Amino acid sequence: MNRIVSGLFRVSIVLVMAFITLPLIVVMAASLSPSSQVTLVPWEWTVRWYGDLVARRWIDPFILSAQIAVLVSLISGVLGLLAAYVVAFEKCPGHAAIMSFLLSPLAVPQIVKGVAIVLFLSSAGLYRWVGTPGLVAAHIILTLPFAVRMIATAMFNFDRNLDRAGQSLGATKAQRIRHLLIPIIKPGVFSGMTFAFIISFNNIPLSVFLVRPGQTTLPITVINYLEYSLDPVLAAVNVASLLFVLAVIFVFEKIGGFSAQIHGGSK
Amino acid sequence: MGHALGTRSRPGRSVVTMSSITLATNRGRPFRTSNVLRQYVPLLPPSILLLVFFAIPMGMMVGLSFHPEGASTATLANYERFFTDDFTLAGLGRTVLMSGLVAICVTVMAYPVAYFLARSRSRWRAVVFALAIAPELAGVVLRTYGWLIILEDQGFINSGLMWLGLISEPLPLAKNMFGVVVGLTHVILPFGILSLLTSLQGVDPSLEKSAQILGASRISVLRHIVVPLTVPGIVSSMLLAFTMSASAYATPAILGGADFKVLATMVYEQVLFYIDWSFAAVMANVLLVMMLIIAAIGSRLEMRLHKKLHF
Repeated sequence: MNRIVSGLFRVSIVLVMAFITLPLIVVMAASLSPSSQVTLVPWEWTVRWYGDLVARRWIDPFILSAQIAVLVSLISGVLGLLAAYVVAFEKCPGHAAIMSFLLSPLAVPQIVKGVAIVLFLSSAGLYRWVGTPGLVAAHIILTLPFAVRMIATAMFNFDRNLDRAGQSLGATKAQRIRHLLIPIIKPGVFSGMTFAFIISFNNIPLSVFLVRPGQTTLPITVINYLEYSLDPVLAAVNVASLLFVLAVIFVFEKIGGFSAQIHGGSK
Repeated sequence: MGHALGTRSRPGRSVVTMSSITLATNRGRPFRTSNVLRQYVPLLPPSILLLVFFAIPMGMMVGLSFHPEGASTATLANYERFFTDDFTLAGLGRTVLMSGLVAICVTVMAYPVAYFLARSRSRWRAVVFALAIAPELAGVVLRTYGWLIILEDQGFINSGLMWLGLISEPLPLAKNMFGVVVGLTHVILPFGILSLLTSLQGVDPSLEKSAQILGASRISVLRHIVVPLTVPGIVSSMLLAFTMSASAYATPAILGGADFKVLATMVYEQVLFYIDWSFAAVMANVLLVMMLIIAAIGSRLEMRLHKKLHF
């Protein structure tokens, strides 16, 4: 009996893992398959769909998405740093209330935030902001809570005694910030910025309200295209943008070194 | 007032006003600014941004929902319209049904994986963990597109079954509720796994060991010890999955097709195609209130379950 149960348990895990990986494998296979029909084992394969990516139709949205994601990531990092600094280090009244205000956008579904922002821009006569400025602002509202939380966590973990030790050894405030605070909170800041980048780059529910012709992000371009065609070039677009995201994570990790923080160890 | 606060934060007094644990160095917080009001200055840029692009728009949207086109005074007419119109009520019903199904699927599928991750010491643990979390890096579009290739009429499953001669007509797998539930389950599963993992890690493995030593079978250990102790985790994973799917936009839009409309996709159409902003605001508010109610129920329920389990 016990053997049957553990057998079933193993089978269920394998099945769930297959469920999780199946669509990813299918997209990768589709991006290499010569016909638009995807077969389990593609007997022939081609990279011509990747060649088709070098068209303005895909390059322009990609550049826009990347630009927005970089801006969103940088601004979330700076604003998150400012907010987290006050919440974590300053002994000021009401810092729980400040934190819940900063995290409040998390309680609202993205689609609702999107409607609210587009209605606001239209009624306030700021309709020309629809497009890049609106996209950046809306994405920051979405990513800022994550950045604040990650950076504040890093700051809460900062051992005050280190600072006291530095001080008693005669380090100036600037020296303590440069040699103690920055190295310790850097992984938190970079993980917040990476998170912001990924969320912004892949975002749909907010972007869908704020794109305009000629200023359409990559995921929205793909969705619009999907409505009338399952063209394998879409598979290539998706795989390429996944590779781009992985490369960005790799670069951020090299600079920020946050994987040590995630695994709970130290480098 | 400002003066009083100013003296309170002067370093010399910090031993009294902060905590007794503070060391005798009299310097409580590192890099502290002396003036209380100046301490808040760094908060200005993020707060202004949140105010302008979140708080004010949200307030405006709520206000707009009470002011239908042409109405000069606040009225509930739009809400009345929402709750009497068959079209919107059907959308609300589909949203609830879809989210409920996803909540059940996610929790049922996530539980064994989370249990494995919480207990296993095998080298496969890291592999399973990576595979469970990695899809989050791929955007929703990639994953939904993958499901579309698998499920649509000329897709992977239908063409395979037709080739085998098992079916003559393609099964309706995409562009309906089934497709959306599959897609959303896939998107939300990693969150379900992480949430149940936290809960399962809180259960002492020696409880299971002792039950086994006393002769309990694996099934009765699961049924009488592990599952009852993780009820709070199960509830919170279901609520998380429910709220995530009720507010999801992209998956229902792609996998649902023209006939399967949920609140999130209806809101979008109301804004961009019907251009009835006031009614769009009503739909968005209904969705928001639904989320807030579920979150409130969730935290109440979790607290009660926790008390029950920990006496």
